[in-house]
Amino acid sequence: MFRLKRAAAVALAATLALAGCAAGGGETGGGDGSGGGDGGGGTLTWGVIAPASTFAQKDMRWANESPYGQAVYDSLLRANPDFEVEPNLATEWEYNEDNTVLTLTLRDDVTFTNGETLTAEDAAASLLAFKGGASPNATLLRNLADARAIDETTLELTLGAPDPGMLSNLTQNAGLVAPAELVDDPAMATEPVGSGPYILNTGETVVGSSYVFDKNEDYWKPEDQHYDKLVLQVYTDPTALLNAVQGGQLNVTNVVDKTTVPQMEAAGYTLNRSELDWSGFLIMDRAGTLVPALGDVRVRQAINFALDREALLATMGAGFGEPTTQIFAPWSPSFDEELDEFYEYDVDRAKELLAEAGYEDGFEVTMPQTPSVAASTWTLMADQLAQIGITVNYEQVQATEFIPGILAAKYPMTWFQLQMGPTDWQLSQFQIAEQATWNPLRYTTPEVEEWIATIQTGTEDEAAEAGQELNRYLVENAWNAPFFRPTVTFMSDANTEAVPQTGNAVPYLWNVQPK
Amino acid sequence: MLRFILRRLLAGVILLFAVSSLAYLLLYLGAGDIARQILGQEATQEQVQQLNTRLGLDQPLLTRYFGWLAGAVTGDFGASWFTNQPVIAAITSRLAVTLSLVIGTVTLTAIVGTALGVWAARKRGAADRTVQIVSVLGFAIPGFLIAIFLVNLFALNLKLFRPTGYIPIGTSFTGWLSTVTLPIIALAIGAIAAIAAQVRGSVIDTMRQDWVRTLRSRGLSENRVLYKHVLRNAGGPALAVLAVQFVGLLGGAVIVEQIFAIPGLGPIATQSTGQGDIPLVMGLVVVTAALVVVVNIVIEILHGFLNPKARIS
Repeated sequence: MFRLKRAAAVALAATLALAGCAAGGGETGGGDGSGGGDGGGGTLTWGVIAPASTFAQKDMRWANESPYGQAVYDSLLRANPDFEVEPNLATEWEYNEDNTVLTLTLRDDVTFTNGETLTAEDAAASLLAFKGGASPNATLLRNLADARAIDETTLELTLGAPDPGMLSNLTQNAGLVAPAELVDDPAMATEPVGSGPYILNTGETVVGSSYVFDKNEDYWKPEDQHYDKLVLQVYTDPTALLNAVQGGQLNVTNVVDKTTVPQMEAAGYTLNRSELDWSGFLIMDRAGTLVPALGDVRVRQAINFALDREALLATMGAGFGEPTTQIFAPWSPSFDEELDEFYEYDVDRAKELLAEAGYEDGFEVTMPQTPSVAASTWTLMADQLAQIGITVNYEQVQATEFIPGILAAKYPMTWFQLQMGPTDWQLSQFQIAEQATWNPLRYTTPEVEEWIATIQTGTEDEAAEAGQELNRYLVENAWNAPFFRPTVTFMSDANTEAVPQTGNAVPYLWNVQPK
Repeated sequence: MLRFILRRLLAGVILLFAVSSLAYLLLYLGAGDIARQILGQEATQEQVQQLNTRLGLDQPLLTRYFGWLAGAVTGDFGASWFTNQPVIAAITSRLAVTLSLVIGTVTLTAIVGTALGVWAARKRGAADRTVQIVSVLGFAIPGFLIAIFLVNLFALNLKLFRPTGYIPIGTSFTGWLSTVTLPIIALAIGAIAAIAAQVRGSVIDTMRQDWVRTLRSRGLSENRVLYKHVLRNAGGPALAVLAVQFVGLLGGAVIVEQIFAIPGLGPIATQSTGQGDIPLVMGLVVVTAALVVVVNIVIEILHGFLNPKARIS
């Protein structure tokens, strides 16, 4: 008996000691996920669905990770919620005559959290580091040939070619500024030094789970600091996220599983809608190299007519989205509302077109299928094409092999969800132009390349006109078969206001504030 | 004793080597294009190539493995490919959280499981049948379902506990309790069922032994027979089950931590495995395997403590 008692005492002591370790971890880690619901002045607890890949300015990511970057850094320019460019670190900017030299005037009253003053030197070093860095968006600066400081507050960017996206790029991760002497310091990945409104609290942060930030007391623009503390709490599990919302632990959050949105609304949260991506078939083999049938425009049009977009939206997007047949964003000057309904669901018309093209008996096409998308989705897509005699042979691939397989030009077509912009120039460089990443079979036509060239070098009006023509051409020639634009569902509680950001997955940090 | 521990530790090191080699091979075979996975849809193919080179993913398997091993032996497990955090820091900051859950669960399991088992074995009849039915149920219902039920009832409706998150014990003890109670109960129910069934069975078996009859005939009180002699004999198998439970609970904690958004090893274990974050997964494999080795040594020592026949001289 005595020994048993002693064993129990030892076990208890061990438990307490370990619990003590956990407590000690409070210094080095242990976010509490608390602080929700107290709106003004105090803590903003924000549910995010992606941990920070890095805090290093030169490798910084965007979209779902934008709050991390915006907390600790400032960007040269800023985009308003409609994606119009506004001053930030740079107060004025001017292009030369042929749009190859961009001169920016910077503020002189901004300091980094290490106490040093932010100068044009820092901005130049940051831009060049980002261009050579590991961010997936490093190509935003592909046309930047050089960046140099003319004096303390004058920054001159030399472009290898005109880049209509340059100003808006500088509002995103490409425009963030870190101290010149630290841009290549590996420590920046975990202990960033910037001039932003908040400072990463490495003691309270648990990397990958919760990121805690304290207010930067010396911030140059205090009116943008709506809170004393910012907690970015990572949720990858939809159940946990829903529980946190229903328990009132979050002020604002992105949503992992859209079918939980009604329950979140029932818990008193407001749904803030915006759009970012298009979802649908990428018909990449427009030359008919892999599947000759796809080289015929009537076949590609038939695929578009065969799609019941409402049904696809209900199944794949839980009804949150807008059916469409174009890949240009509603905020683009090239967007055309008519092109949302260019191909009505019409199986007979689709069959007719196939027959005209000589494929009345249909044909077979191989597409990749990944387990990260629900099986019912793949079945529904195959069923839609089966109605007109097209047989889909799915090739099962791991989630990690899905994108590489597509980009290695292994498949004639595939389902995917791609970003729409934010600008026409970026959209065309991303998924239309011959060398675009998402044009793996490198198909193009002279008129398409010409429109893209006009978007790059033409005046604003010329570019808008070219964009419109390009958009209509892509739809009429069925370069793709879009299903819908999924709604970005961002939830905010009763005490918090969040203004959705055009062209981004989540609102910008300063647009989330107490009501 | 010391020799025994040394021998066991040596075996443990060999086990660690075998487990880590196997894990590395499996990760290599199942990895896919990690650089693309890291960079996402926006990166160009050239950027993906560059990252492959930077991470050494274009090297042959053996070169990569020995590179990792050389680092690991000196305690350098590298940094996560997805968050850039050093692996050691990622694991140490989270291990204590998971261990506090698991050890809390094991303690609760040992106490409640033994009490239930002994009670059933002594009373038999209705009490016994109730315990048996409850343990089958406890065994059959998966921990995550129990977790979801507990959150809905006690956190969301009754608002007695926090639905998600974790507060370190040093920040606030009551806060800590409010975050770990539900996860520990969710984890413990299955384990309690197993321990209760085990203790009940062994106690009943032991009670039938001749020497127990002899003890009784010598006039020892029933309590003394039970607690001093029977339980000690019956404790061995229960302890073995508990050891297995401990290892199983590390796995169970992974899921329960997801549901409660607790920043333990669970979230990074699922994330890093799904993404192919090889440095982090390997660090986790080594730490988990080391834990298993240590727990087994401790259990064997405890076993000898309970049963002189099994004592290591």
